[in-house]
Amino acid sequence: MRILTAVILFALWLVLSATYDPAHVIVGAVVSALVAWLNPALPHMRRLSWFAALAYQPWLFGRILKSGLHVSRLILDPKLPISPELVRHKTKFTRDGELVALGNSITLTPGTITVEVAPGELVVHAIDEESRKDLLDGSFEAKIAGVFAATEGER
Amino acid sequence: MSWLGIALIVIGLFFLVVGSIGMLRLPDVFSRAHALSVTDSLGALFVLLGLAVYEGFNTNFLRIIVVLGLIYLLNPVIAHATVRAAYRSGLRPGKGDDQ
Amino acid sequence: MSSFFLFVLTTLTVLMLVYLYRVVRGPTAFDRVLGLNGISTKAIVLLVVIGTTFDRVDMFVDISTGYALLNLVGALAIAKFLEERGEERQ
Repeated sequence: MRILTAVILFALWLVLSATYDPAHVIVGAVVSALVAWLNPALPHMRRLSWFAALAYQPWLFGRILKSGLHVSRLILDPKLPISPELVRHKTKFTRDGELVALGNSITLTPGTITVEVAPGELVVHAIDEESRKDLLDGSFEAKIAGVFAATEGER
Repeated sequence: MSWLGIALIVIGLFFLVVGSIGMLRLPDVFSRAHALSVTDSLGALFVLLGLAVYEGFNTNFLRIIVVLGLIYLLNPVIAHATVRAAYRSGLRPGKGDDQ
Repeated sequence: MSSFFLFVLTTLTVLMLVYLYRVVRGPTAFDRVLGLNGISTKAIVLLVVIGTTFDRVDMFVDISTGYALLNLVGALAIAKFLEERGEERQ
């Protein structure tokens, strides 16, 4: 796990630093190894299944595009047909990793914004009926449960 | 390849304009946060993707993708923090507080 | 081609002015914070566009990364402050 963190940090260093002479590359390797060695791995990272996490991104992008077009149509409509409302959204997640992923995905999707987060319950502000329906069909939960499906304690 | 980039940038500018119109028209804080979410998610995505494609597939492409990922991680956090502060200090949606 | 980028830069600046209207006018403090966030997102995009125009994307991307991180810290600090103080009704 720490080796993976070090490799990711080193790749980020290579992308962001514009110079590739040996001195800079060696400094980057040493610093990323040091950071990965000093920091304990996040507990939620261990439960992450990387393939599902990667497959989640295009799906989320499709949702964002679809509801983004819907909200654009709402805004450009001369009558402004919105019916904003707060929804209490029950969820079966209680741990931080799942809650953060779910809340961030809901906020990133246009039309719904997470207002309050507590274990087992989210307060969500939805802009109209269709966004509310999108939220309630539970497809976010199913996907995120798949992302965090890996067994605990594997390194 | 550069024409694809320009097309993506124009699509992104359309979403940014829609977000600004929403910022002017929508009635209260919570709805305006939705307008901001449209702008940030889609407008910045398409404009930055168009610039990345226009640059061609070298390290500059990867750098712009890093900025894009950063926007995608940070913007929901900011929107959520602002809306939660509004909620906790007693504002409720649906009334329309604009004059 | 540079005239197209000039057009993009002008459009982004005009959109920032729209958000500035929300910052100046906004009925509550939270509207002002939202307007500032919108402006800073446009500023990040604007910096990358400037970098493409002048062929120095590697330099301007670093600036916009720093801008994004500073914006996050500032916005979270303001939100935290307003949350504890509560909204002053006009």
